[in-house]
Amino acid sequence: MRLFKDQAAGKLMFLLALFPSFLVLAIIFGLFQKSRAILAIRSVGRLLFSSGWHPLKGEFGLLPFITGTLWVTFVALVIAIPISLFTAIYLSEYAPRYVRDLAKPIIDLLAGLPSVVFGVWGIMVIVPFVGNVLAPLFGVYSSGYSILAGGIVLAIMIFPTIIHVSLEVFASIPFALRETSLSLGATQWETVHHVVLRKGAQGVMAASILGLSRAFGETMAVLMVVGNVPMVPKSLFSPGYPLPALIANNYGEMMSVPLYDSALMLAALVLLIVVLAASVFGRWILIKAEKRAE
Amino acid sequence: MKYEHELTRGRIKHRRAVEIVAKIAMIGSTTLVVGSLLAIIGAIIWKSLPALKLSMITQSPKGGYYLGKEGGILNAIVGSLYLGLGATALALVFSLPVVLYLNLYTKKKSRFAGLTRFAFDVLWGIPSIVYGAFGFVLMMAVGLRASLLAGIITVALLELPIMSRAIDEVMVLVPRELKEASFALGATRLETAFKVVVRQCMPGILTAVLIAFGRGIGDAASVLFTAGFTDRIPTSLFQPAATLPLAIFFQLGTPFPEVQQRAYASAAVLTLLILLISIASRLLIRKLTKHVIK
Amino acid sequence: MKKLISAIACFWIIALAASPIPGAAAADISGNLTLSGAWALYPMALKWVEEFQKINPGVKIDVQAGGAGKGIADALAGMVDIGMVSRNVQPAELEKGAFPVAVTKDAVIPTLSVRNPLLKDLLARGLKKDEFAGVWITKTVTSWDGLLGRTGKAEIHVYTRSDACGAAETWAAYMGKHQEDLTGIGVYGDPGLADAVKRDPLGIGFNNVNFAYDAKTLKPVEGIVICPIDINGNGKVDPEESVYGTRDDITGAIARNVYPSPPARDLYFVTKGKPQNPVLVEFLKWVLTEGQKYVPETGYIPLSAEKLAEGLSAIGAGPAKK
Repeated sequence: MRLFKDQAAGKLMFLLALFPSFLVLAIIFGLFQKSRAILAIRSVGRLLFSSGWHPLKGEFGLLPFITGTLWVTFVALVIAIPISLFTAIYLSEYAPRYVRDLAKPIIDLLAGLPSVVFGVWGIMVIVPFVGNVLAPLFGVYSSGYSILAGGIVLAIMIFPTIIHVSLEVFASIPFALRETSLSLGATQWETVHHVVLRKGAQGVMAASILGLSRAFGETMAVLMVVGNVPMVPKSLFSPGYPLPALIANNYGEMMSVPLYDSALMLAALVLLIVVLAASVFGRWILIKAEKRAE
Repeated sequence: MKYEHELTRGRIKHRRAVEIVAKIAMIGSTTLVVGSLLAIIGAIIWKSLPALKLSMITQSPKGGYYLGKEGGILNAIVGSLYLGLGATALALVFSLPVVLYLNLYTKKKSRFAGLTRFAFDVLWGIPSIVYGAFGFVLMMAVGLRASLLAGIITVALLELPIMSRAIDEVMVLVPRELKEASFALGATRLETAFKVVVRQCMPGILTAVLIAFGRGIGDAASVLFTAGFTDRIPTSLFQPAATLPLAIFFQLGTPFPEVQQRAYASAAVLTLLILLISIASRLLIRKLTKHVIK
Repeated sequence: MKKLISAIACFWIIALAASPIPGAAAADISGNLTLSGAWALYPMALKWVEEFQKINPGVKIDVQAGGAGKGIADALAGMVDIGMVSRNVQPAELEKGAFPVAVTKDAVIPTLSVRNPLLKDLLARGLKKDEFAGVWITKTVTSWDGLLGRTGKAEIHVYTRSDACGAAETWAAYMGKHQEDLTGIGVYGDPGLADAVKRDPLGIGFNNVNFAYDAKTLKPVEGIVICPIDINGNGKVDPEESVYGTRDDITGAIARNVYPSPPARDLYFVTKGKPQNPVLVEFLKWVLTEGQKYVPETGYIPLSAEKLAEGLSAIGAGPAKK
């Protein structure tokens, strides 16, 4: 009887476990179906690589949005990864107990803030900062609504993700390893550098890829500070227009302009493919790292 | 060992210097992270002060609330709680069995497990607006109107990968010996799952539920097209439900400064809600950690 | 009780006068209605819903904002009963079954920052339609000094709306174009645009009347100044063109057709197909008749009697208007 329950539960769980893969396929399929209308009359190359976005004239060049997404995410990662890593190392290796106990819940709280709040704060603080402080420093004019602003806001949003996972990774490294290194005369930082980071490299990479995925998908906060101008960004200080913002801004218009809904679904599909590619890349790195560790 | 050559004073000075620079980087980073959170919370509170009244959380909007008259956001608070609890419960029903299956029923290098985890990775990275769009399409196909139920389903889809990944991460850490001991004693996989593994992972599972709940309750893009909005507290699954993120959004969008201040107050309420649930679950974790074997 | 009786009386009178529909006693109607859509219509819709529910306590109406695009999408998808749309309905939408009823009028007005260094001269001179086009569409007008014929390099910082909305579409229609042709930094939401212009002394943007003027003081929102339109193109703002002092000034100007249309525009309630639901029909009829008396106090412009009659006959016994 118990065995029966076990088998039955197993079969049921297996069915449930099919669900995630099924969902991914369903979403891809659904998006593809809806994109077909526009793929039928424009070549994929022209859609992905032309930069004119004039839906009413039938021009649906997605290049500005793809580059916008890539730029903003890249900036966010460049800012977030080092800062998160340093913070995680500090909290895990150096900080006195009370600091760690205080900082961890605060950081988790950061993870819980709704993105609208980040967006509004971004407008209040980051946009003027970029426009009135940073841009003049570089001798450029910027309204503040820019790739850089989007990247900064996004970075703050993914801090908790990367920190949280990194902390867990560091915590799982046996203390004995650190003790050995220190007893051999290494400074604490050298211990961190050569021991903790080496062992934890794989986990840290996983954390970064998690951060990357989160950054790709974040919509509202970035939309509010990035400027939303459909052109390929010329610099960090120019406005950009990432793919999720395109979808969010224009979702309501889908019914109204011919082919618009198809184009937006295509944009969503492209976004999904980028996420897929990033996930594949992430898994591949992890597998390679695991192989090396064996 | 390399360090035998480095006994000259210059090298030691260099290593000390590196240590100091590293310390500065770390403390700086931590301050940046913690500081940005405090800045955001500070800004919310400061901007919401004029609107922080008890009536905000005890009343629903009376007529003309969005034009500056009385009322509060009780409709959104209750709506969000209904939505969040429903969606999180639904997500849990789907994710816990699946993760248990992946950890107990599949073999070590099972391709199915790898595929399912990969599917979760992809789902994790999908922007919430795509879930909102997908939910909208589902609703249209089924003939469901904007309602609490539609919102619950959509947000459950959003929370599924977040919860699953978080649970998986803890569950993978369960030492193999524990599982083997259980099997050796004659327990089936099902029994091991619920009597041993779940108990062991309880803190992790609860944290996962909490993280997913926080993300689900704070997200605007997924509910914008699916849950509708209303000034009332929903009494059935098929009625539209107000949610806090949308309430914040709509209040920000009115031309009345008093209402915009209420938006900040609503954001404060949302943050406080997440904080309270976080604290409550930490206490719960402490109670249930009795059975965890370290 | 007295109000209920007079409301019922009004309904009977209007029902008898307007169209030959057998009038049900208004106090008996009950049901649910949902609206969603344009920010521009939001305050007016809320007022109407409030008043209508007072007269018909059995009716429950939910209103959600989210933009004109959302309104039309929701209406055409059958998700809501009425989509609030702040621009003209497109042919593609009509083909999908959109049934628009004009319910009131408002306008989009151009805005400047109160801290603009050349403000006095700009206010005296105004901008002509082709200059607005030069700023937003063709980018031939790029500096404030250039506009005033001086030397100097104060650039014009152009702002527009990032979200697909009626305001931007209407503003573009003034220049004969569409929202997608407007250049400039895209800011989300009407208040967002006002904010951006407020903070940027060299900024120029546009807003709905109700978002540009403070609802209590009826003066322009702090930090914003309305950019006058030089309607007759004579290079200065004549007294008849100076209609921006208070909200009543501008609404009066729009009603007298002094302010051009576009950027003044009709605001629509859009249903999917001719409305069949009796509660819906009652609500629409009320809006076009009784409801109109709340229009001026909420900052909008009442429609002409002909337009109202057109609407009434469209939803009444007459054939569906396309």
